[in-house]
Amino acid sequence: MKYAMFWGCLIPAREPNYEVSVRKIMPAFGVKLVEMEGTNCCAPFGIQSLDYMSWLALAARNLCIGEEMGLDIVTLCNDCYESLLMVNTMLKTDHELKNQVNEILAEVGKEYKGKIDVKNMIDVLYDDVGVKKVKDAVKKPFTGLKVATQPGCHLTKPKRIHFGERKFDAFDELVRATGAETIDYDRRQSCCGGPLRGINDELARDVARMKLISIKNAGAECIVTVCPFCFLELDMSQLEIKRHFKEEYNLPVLHFAELLRMAMGMKLDDWETKSHRVPLNPLLKDRLQEG
Amino acid sequence: MTKLSELEPKFMHEVANTPRGKGILACIQCGRCSSSCPIARLVDEHNPRQLMEMIILGSRDEVLHTKLPWYCLSCFTCLDRCPQGGDVAEVMFAIRNLAVREGNVPDGFAAQAGNLIKTGRVVTPAMMMINKREKLGLSKTPSTAIEEVQKILKKTTLDKMMASRRTVKE
Repeated sequence: MKYAMFWGCLIPAREPNYEVSVRKIMPAFGVKLVEMEGTNCCAPFGIQSLDYMSWLALAARNLCIGEEMGLDIVTLCNDCYESLLMVNTMLKTDHELKNQVNEILAEVGKEYKGKIDVKNMIDVLYDDVGVKKVKDAVKKPFTGLKVATQPGCHLTKPKRIHFGERKFDAFDELVRATGAETIDYDRRQSCCGGPLRGINDELARDVARMKLISIKNAGAECIVTVCPFCFLELDMSQLEIKRHFKEEYNLPVLHFAELLRMAMGMKLDDWETKSHRVPLNPLLKDRLQEG
Repeated sequence: MTKLSELEPKFMHEVANTPRGKGILACIQCGRCSSSCPIARLVDEHNPRQLMEMIILGSRDEVLHTKLPWYCLSCFTCLDRCPQGGDVAEVMFAIRNLAVREGNVPDGFAAQAGNLIKTGRVVTPAMMMINKREKLGLSKTPSTAIEEVQKILKKTTLDKMMASRRTVKE
């Protein structure tokens, strides 16, 4: 299995711990991630808000690079996923729109053809690798660990590009494949507040707080996510909430790739442990390298 | 509040004729979007149903020249739940796009556009992170194509739109 890997902006710039874990686990499943050269911003929510055609053209330029490689694109970030998947879906079905976008892309010598698909890492693990193989790779299961899963909005919404809520269950099933228990909580489908960072920080914190209250009440011990925005938001905001509201949630936030990597018997390095603001140690001591 | 004499009844069609704005025509004012919205719970000023109503009635100035279009963070819950398939979150994109053309861009969004125009990306690694990445054996920064991004944004005129932005009314 070979894919064009779209790392996006946020993960390489802020969360190399996510990147490293993905690089370590995927080869174990026979998945080869080929680097994409010369990509640009996926044009997420903030850019889409400014201008429609800029969004389409920027996303389509990335899709063209995947087409030139002859490989389906895999994304890790929910915002990259939403932007590239949505634009790919729109341009594949709307020929007039495709022509308009290609007129812009001609400026940079590219042409969108609509030959490839866009996937998320969860699609690859669930559909192409399969839950059974993931289960088989687990050497140190997280038996009894109560996990609140946070798929993030754009892994599953809007439904019309994701074909329903199947991916919610797919993500939970993959988390359970590590031996952990997934718990249901009432704000599971709601936003983490992340997109508001840098725009309205206090509001972002308050949105995250609603989510954390719901997770704590449901009895979870930690949060597992696939989205780099959710990771930063839910991890970082716990410190802000402690300062502002004097409330402590102590819910470590993990990337799914980190959880799976630990379940496969690999320990997280010290710098990776320190990439989490809510300490992992009380929960995962024996799975972390000594600093 | 917009006075009767200031209403622009054609505004609904102006919105509907933009690429993501068609959903406004389907709105039946049921309010399911407002009850689904995570921001509406926390911010009194943000009420998607009311915003749809303002578009329908033609409060053009109030919709496009205030902070109202900028609260939505596009979680798409309202879009999935709209009984009319009215694409509320898409209409939000439509009115933000229109607001930008009137010079209404909040600082946070303008900062993202600024990074994009300068670096080809919205987020770029800080110097400390570049060093850390090198130590970890990762590429210093993701390879990008700044000039091509700039050519695209010149063609779509996003660069000009950003240069002519104004301060938003409170």
